[in-house]
Amino acid sequence: MFAVFKREFKSYFTSLWGYIFLAAFLAIGAITYITINLMYSMASMSAYFQTMITLVMFILPILTMRIFSEDMKQKTDQLLYTAPVSSLSIVVGKFLAVYAVFLIGLVLMAWFPISLSFFGAVPVAETISMFVGFALFCGSVIAIGVFMSSLTESQVIAAIATYAFVIGTVLLTSSLLPIISNNVLSEIVGAFSLMNKFSDFSIGVLSLSPILYYISFMVIFVFLTNMTLQKRRFS
Amino acid sequence: MIEVINLTKKYGNQKAVDNISFKVEKGEILGFLGPNGAGKSTTMNMITGYLSANEGSIKVDGYDVLENPNEVKKRIGYLPEQPPLYMDMTVREYLNFVCDLKKVKENREIHVNRIASLVKIQDVIGRKIQNLSKGYKQRVGLAQALVGDPEVLILDEPTVGLDPQQIIEIRNVIKGLGKNRTIILSSHILPEISAICERVLIINKGVLVAEGSPEELSQHLSKSRKVMVRIAGDESKISLVLGKISGIEKLTKLGSKEAGTFDYIIEVDESTDIRYPLFDEIVKGDLKLLMSKPMDTTLEEIFMKAIKDDVRIDNGPTTSEDEKININESVPEIGIDSEGTNESDVNGEVEE
Repeated sequence: MFAVFKREFKSYFTSLWGYIFLAAFLAIGAITYITINLMYSMASMSAYFQTMITLVMFILPILTMRIFSEDMKQKTDQLLYTAPVSSLSIVVGKFLAVYAVFLIGLVLMAWFPISLSFFGAVPVAETISMFVGFALFCGSVIAIGVFMSSLTESQVIAAIATYAFVIGTVLLTSSLLPIISNNVLSEIVGAFSLMNKFSDFSIGVLSLSPILYYISFMVIFVFLTNMTLQKRRFS
Repeated sequence: MIEVINLTKKYGNQKAVDNISFKVEKGEILGFLGPNGAGKSTTMNMITGYLSANEGSIKVDGYDVLENPNEVKKRIGYLPEQPPLYMDMTVREYLNFVCDLKKVKENREIHVNRIASLVKIQDVIGRKIQNLSKGYKQRVGLAQALVGDPEVLILDEPTVGLDPQQIIEIRNVIKGLGKNRTIILSSHILPEISAICERVLIINKGVLVAEGSPEELSQHLSKSRKVMVRIAGDESKISLVLGKISGIEKLTKLGSKEAGTFDYIIEVDESTDIRYPLFDEIVKGDLKLLMSKPMDTTLEEIFMKAIKDDVRIDNGPTTSEDEKININESVPEIGIDSEGTNESDVNGEVEE
């Protein structure tokens, strides 16, 4: 697992993808930061993160789209799956590599609230909990992206499928959820609402349920990815 | 060492591999021969655990591929048809990564250097794989298979894309490795198989059609001797003259390859030397003999014989003479082409 992690992580920085992602991520972050926090003189990061979770969905597929697709296209998957390592550890290694690149961006992003703290009182607990929530939210989007990448050897299709899925769940939950009267149905639809779960973090509460929600979301999609890869070889 | 029993793999309704069974003993070099799409790569993919079989079982060193995949994978070094290379890594980084994957215990530096010198890639070890030539990429692929000193090597067309010099080098490397390893090697290049392998399996359309050592296989089929001749002159006259010669068992017209000449294949009994009467008659008939070339029964013919029922040969645009040639008779033609060239250029491809 560590070997795969190390290789994938490094490959983001031997190719341009890691830099492109970080540049796009921080550029979007900076624009949001300027237009929300600086222009309205807000020390709270709440509005900032509410905007970011919408925008970040469009750049996370930059990281995830190649993670399995490229392997399939270059046939390097033959090396991985004929090596004495389990396929789950390959999937986890790859997922963590993508996540680690994202986390670098997130750490760099911490500069925004830190810089604000020089000029006003930044609500520390609230900001930290939003960073945690944001990391978990993005982890779930990454897990979806990784899964989509395992379905096709075309990176473009993998990226589009990720957009479609994520945007679909957002639209589904924001427009459909309020008009569903059936309780059971709204629970089910609500389960796909990645964004709604984020609201808990924005009020500065680190409650267990949304944390578990995001983690199980990641686990399920990592698991599905593994099953997809197994099925391709064992059918 | 390797035991394959009733192996079957289906892609949809099509059987890529159909009920194949064979054994490979420890230290043996087995050649896998067949046209493209015969099921060689699929079989290899199944032995290495990359694909699963629909039916049948594979055991390597007593371990079942499905039950103990990691034990099997530990023992196998695999070079797939397309070397699984990460283009963004340098050769050294790549081999180190493979060491990590295969959990090599030996000191990395020593291990990687030893393998690099074995397949002669020390010169490029610091270069990015994407910048390497095809031959070097192929060698890096082979190096990858050797990482961890596996007992079994499975090499899918290992000399593809190499130049003649490199082919000979790689063959020698493989032969050297075969001294203490079990090797399965696939190829559609026949001289390669006869040069390296102790035993050959011929597979076509997923079915095992022949098995034996190259010698056994050629003995089995070479009851006659063949000579290819090119004669200049009038066609009807040539037929007349050749018809007079006694001892010819079979005469096959190949058509005209050079203006004013005609090529034939003359088949005679093993005990007959046709060259003397042939020469005499041709001179008597006022014709010119431009070429006379003995043709040994090669693996190619065995191969073609073994698969002739199924094989389709595309002769390209044919002349009226050529049209008469049936598949069986066109067999030696392939032999001629490949024998006439350097063995490294031999494609031996039977289908286009």
